[in-house]
Amino acid sequence: MSNYQPELIATARDIEEVKTVAEAGADAVVIGHERYGLRVAGNFDVTAIGQAVQHLHACNKKVYVLTNAIFHNDIVQELPDYFTGLAELEVDGIICGDPSVFPILNELDVDLDVFWNPETLSTNYETLKYWETKGIKRAILSNELALDAIATIKEKINVPVEIQIHGMTCIFQSKRKLVTNYYNYIETDEQLKQDIKSKNMHLRQSNETDTHYPVYEDINGTHIMSNEDLCMIEHLQEIMDARVDSLRINGLFKSREYQQKAVALYREAIDRHQDIITDYQKHQLKQQIVTMQPNDRKLDTGFYYKEQIY
Amino acid sequence: MSTKVKKPELLAPAGNLEKLKFAIHYGADAVYIGGKQFGLRAKAGNFSFEEMAEGVEFANRYGAKVYVAANIIAHNENLDGAKEYFKKLYEIGISAVIIADPALITACKEAAPNLEIHISTQASIANWRTAQYWKQEGIPRVVLAREVSVEEIRQMKEKVDIEIEAFIHGAMCISYSGRCVLSNHMTARDANRGGCAQSCRWKYDLFEDGVDGSVNVSEEADEAYTMSSKDLSMVEHLPDLLELGVDSLKIEGRMKSIHYIATVVNVYRKIIDSYYENPENYQLNEAWVDEIWKAAQRSLTTAFYYEEPSENAQLFGKPDRIPKYNFAGLVLDYDEDTQIATVQQRNSFAKGDEIEFFGPNFKRFKQEITEIWDENGQAIDIAKHAMMVTKVKVDQPVTYFDMMRKRK
Repeated sequence: MSNYQPELIATARDIEEVKTVAEAGADAVVIGHERYGLRVAGNFDVTAIGQAVQHLHACNKKVYVLTNAIFHNDIVQELPDYFTGLAELEVDGIICGDPSVFPILNELDVDLDVFWNPETLSTNYETLKYWETKGIKRAILSNELALDAIATIKEKINVPVEIQIHGMTCIFQSKRKLVTNYYNYIETDEQLKQDIKSKNMHLRQSNETDTHYPVYEDINGTHIMSNEDLCMIEHLQEIMDARVDSLRINGLFKSREYQQKAVALYREAIDRHQDIITDYQKHQLKQQIVTMQPNDRKLDTGFYYKEQIY
Repeated sequence: MSTKVKKPELLAPAGNLEKLKFAIHYGADAVYIGGKQFGLRAKAGNFSFEEMAEGVEFANRYGAKVYVAANIIAHNENLDGAKEYFKKLYEIGISAVIIADPALITACKEAAPNLEIHISTQASIANWRTAQYWKQEGIPRVVLAREVSVEEIRQMKEKVDIEIEAFIHGAMCISYSGRCVLSNHMTARDANRGGCAQSCRWKYDLFEDGVDGSVNVSEEADEAYTMSSKDLSMVEHLPDLLELGVDSLKIEGRMKSIHYIATVVNVYRKIIDSYYENPENYQLNEAWVDEIWKAAQRSLTTAFYYEEPSENAQLFGKPDRIPKYNFAGLVLDYDEDTQIATVQQRNSFAKGDEIEFFGPNFKRFKQEITEIWDENGQAIDIAKHAMMVTKVKVDQPVTYFDMMRKRK
């Protein structure tokens, strides 16, 4: 029990950020390419992934690659080569969410750890026990779970459990180009349409003017992100009491400075929890996040303390 | 393409026992229903075990099958009772269960090993390798994600020997089904456990965020941003799926009305039968398309089957005007000699109304209501009481289970 130390994971948009978040205290970095992975912070081709592996392994840290897209026939044809390449680079895990990876990996003679992340579908321990029988090495839980449910899952399954502790979460994915479609409908000029991918955009509920849902398009379609940024820095004790193995910070749509600082603050918070941390100290850490938080992004604790009905 | 001997199954939704009977009588080979637990349509009527048993008994008379959707994405607290539930479904004579969550697959395999499992569209099966995965798991049928194209289905059929069920008609999630928690975030209602508030169809403002602040694009264009999909319809293209050997053609809509289900099932039954009667000379009959529009609630689209859906597959601005029809009456009996039908009122109708009778095998004819009598044989001008039994003079023979519709 005493040697429990949660892994701190951060996303990175490029090799530069891989280095800065590692320096700031991340134990592992999540990277990938939108062709295979969902909501990558930036696109890494295989060469760049190799550079990340080299850098991180040299400082005894891990590299996980997002390969959790909902694949169609065209991409599954590419997966054997892609997986073989990742195995050769000795990445420490591939993050998957489509069952197609199991027959593909079974046919390949490669050594790759599958971390299971089907986003919204990772919600109970029996489901994860099922995927354990398929050989997954880690269960990444859905964001729409309460902390006590997470604790129960952790108790009941054997593979390590990962949750997100900071940043925005994905709340919607469509294969359609919903932003482009909208622009086409309102008939804005071509120039504007071409700019869609370079622009930051958000949606606001027409009757809830205080809302802010980032929206963007990529190869996988349209993604809508949460109204609030998850921030669990004050609540790490409960998460660590549940012995959750890995804690992830999502830096999507945040500045490099923000992501670096967030990683450093959570590093400090986790390390302090190994000893003794006062409520005041927790509050101070939270305040540092509040200070750097963009004006239009509220902080909250997601579903970790929230009931849902159905 | 060589002619497939085996006709595909026409699979219809049934929100309650009455809808089940209409769906089957109008030509569905199978229906899918929800039980009181583990289903995604919390607001549909849903079946008790007794109602399921009656539904199975009714279906058996037609050689039809009853499937039960148990397609929630379960949380820890939802797992209790799953084994008993599946065991009970098997005992009742349910032909298959539609499941998305592997937790429920495990429970079902353990408790009712002979109960067939179909993997739900909520699992977003969009490639042949995933179909292959489920085949290797011993699953006989997968319901495809609505994002796959006709060409992709062709490839799946070529590469994997597994039954494929594909949607042909009805409402669509604009997201990958199961990969949307808008409702959870905006209303605290869990979409994947039956609480979907359809937040995608709400109105939004789209902002472009620049260094100098945000621009409200929707305000400037005076047009709300929304993500509402038109409804899927393959009425004009069904042979494209029939030629591929798709095993089950699925109609969406456990929340839909009896009129909707009877109308839509009737049309697709007719199309399938016409095609298999003579595939080489199959021709679309415009009357079938006309009939489908009588049940339509939104504009229609072929969604992902031929191309990536553009803005034309979405509902923007004012909705298109679609004439709406009511289920005005159900034919209970017919007297050949007097040409008088006994009609149970389902929505108000009156003398002088233009109505249409329709029944299985695409029977339909229009007439004016000339005479109505109440239960006591009294001539009346209007049948306004719900479920009242009336007599109506009809122009052509009708029979029990035929329906009478009236434009709203």
